[in-house]
Amino acid sequence: MITLEGVAARRPPLTLARLTLSWGPGVHALVGAATDGGPLLLELIAGRARLRAGKLRVLDAGPSDPRVRRQLAWVTLQPPLPEALRVAEVLSMASTLRGEPPGDPALRLTALGVESLADRRVSTLAPEEARAVALAEALTSRAVRVLLLEEPLAGVDPRAAARVPELLHARGREGCAVLVATASLRDAGDVADDHLLLRAGAIVGRASSLDELTGFSPEGARVRILASDPRALLAALAREVEVEAIAQRDASVVARGPDVAALAAAVGRAVVASGVDVTEMRIEPPSLDEARAAAAGIASATYDAAYARTRAALGTAARDPS
Amino acid sequence: MIAALARPPLARLLRTPRSLATVGAWCVLSLGFALSAHVRGVAHGADHVLVDAYAALLLPLLVYTLVGAVVGTGSLSASTAPLVLFGAAPARAAAVTVGVAVLTSLAMGGALAALLAVVAHGASDPPAPGDALASAYAGALGGAAYAAFFALGTGFGRRGGLRVALLLVDWVLGRGRGALAILVPRAHVRNLLGGEAPLDLSPRASALALVVIAVAFALLAVRRGSRA
Repeated sequence: MITLEGVAARRPPLTLARLTLSWGPGVHALVGAATDGGPLLLELIAGRARLRAGKLRVLDAGPSDPRVRRQLAWVTLQPPLPEALRVAEVLSMASTLRGEPPGDPALRLTALGVESLADRRVSTLAPEEARAVALAEALTSRAVRVLLLEEPLAGVDPRAAARVPELLHARGREGCAVLVATASLRDAGDVADDHLLLRAGAIVGRASSLDELTGFSPEGARVRILASDPRALLAALAREVEVEAIAQRDASVVARGPDVAALAAAVGRAVVASGVDVTEMRIEPPSLDEARAAAAGIASATYDAAYARTRAALGTAARDPS
Repeated sequence: MIAALARPPLARLLRTPRSLATVGAWCVLSLGFALSAHVRGVAHGADHVLVDAYAALLLPLLVYTLVGAVVGTGSLSASTAPLVLFGAAPARAAAVTVGVAVLTSLAMGGALAALLAVVAHGASDPPAPGDALASAYAGALGGAAYAAFFALGTGFGRRGGLRVALLLVDWVLGRGRGALAILVPRAHVRNLLGGEAPLDLSPRASALALVVIAVAFALLAVRRGSRA
């Protein structure tokens, strides 16, 4: 649905190196800070920034093709909305422009839990509410087949933020290509099926899941547990050999270990042993730099393994000319 | 489609109290001039008000305000950005916004000129109905030309700052009767309303010049406004 061949673009001080990529249906994350090129890449795909080189196709056409434009939604951090219109009028106008039957605006807003905004003037909306309206328009439009979202879980009305991941996955399952640019590995893990790590305009790694990155992180895996009695849990975790380090932060306990699975098992045993009630337990995502290092490590390891296999095969062939 | 594209600029114009108040203030001031001429019994009351106040000051400022109200606080491309994000072609969105500005200014300019001609009508002015019609024609053409002229200005700068510069250019160049005066609407509107003609052009030539200014500047504004 989206293909880039040798695409290069420049927005000082950032330069996007020659990128060759393709995305089909599903939710895909571009992980990196804004200065790493994710938002610029979305802008290129939306046809709002100029290519310096290469070829970009969206839905088998150029991004500025009128047919593509109607099927593409781009939600920035500060989405421009017509400030003099009411929210319901904005949604009905958007339906007309996208060439789809106008649905009930309140129903569309209900998808993100912000139906109470329907009668409000856009000029009276808080930035978080405006983002929620723009997201509701993009996520509930039947005409949209390509969604480009900047930080979909940041700076959004809290009522909407809780519902965004499920809606994004649903759109991905329906055949839409959803591209999310985020600097948060946790958000990327929550919403996307695969992750492309960017640094200074270049791709530094790809990962299908954050577990993969967590496992390769030089710092090891981290698990955060919110428990009824953190001190008791701390004591129980201290007896587990798979746990390398423990720290208490307010009501939660963070345990670190070299392997995610072994660490999770150790935490489970500690919870049973201490008899505490667990409110929440989740794997802590690595930092952006850790993830990039891990992805580079995976790429390097893959290259080393392929190199070794090729070398072994060539060696075998040289010894056995028949 | 066009109705959908026209909705945001019309809403900006009709639902922004500050814009409405400013437009209203210019209209009230115009009527004040006309009533003053009427009360004083000036023989060429309509001529004086239309040439010295309306063409020289009120029409440019009224249209300047109207264009600002239609486009909003940002530039022309910023005002059409939401429409483009919902799938509209940038050129079409810009064309409809400029069109709304031109048509509104045409209607307001024509109506106000006709009203002033009637209210300020003096003993030595031509018969009121014919004078009102001719004034409406000149005001409408002038309004359209000014709207296109200022619309181009909204395409430059983050807040469409060139609009102010064009207002000053019109004021400076349009005062004279030389060759430069034919480039701006002011001299032609004055000519159509019975004032001094630039380069001794006939009223018909000035009317044609206003149409050319309206079309040329509108096209340039659309071209500029459709750039991302």
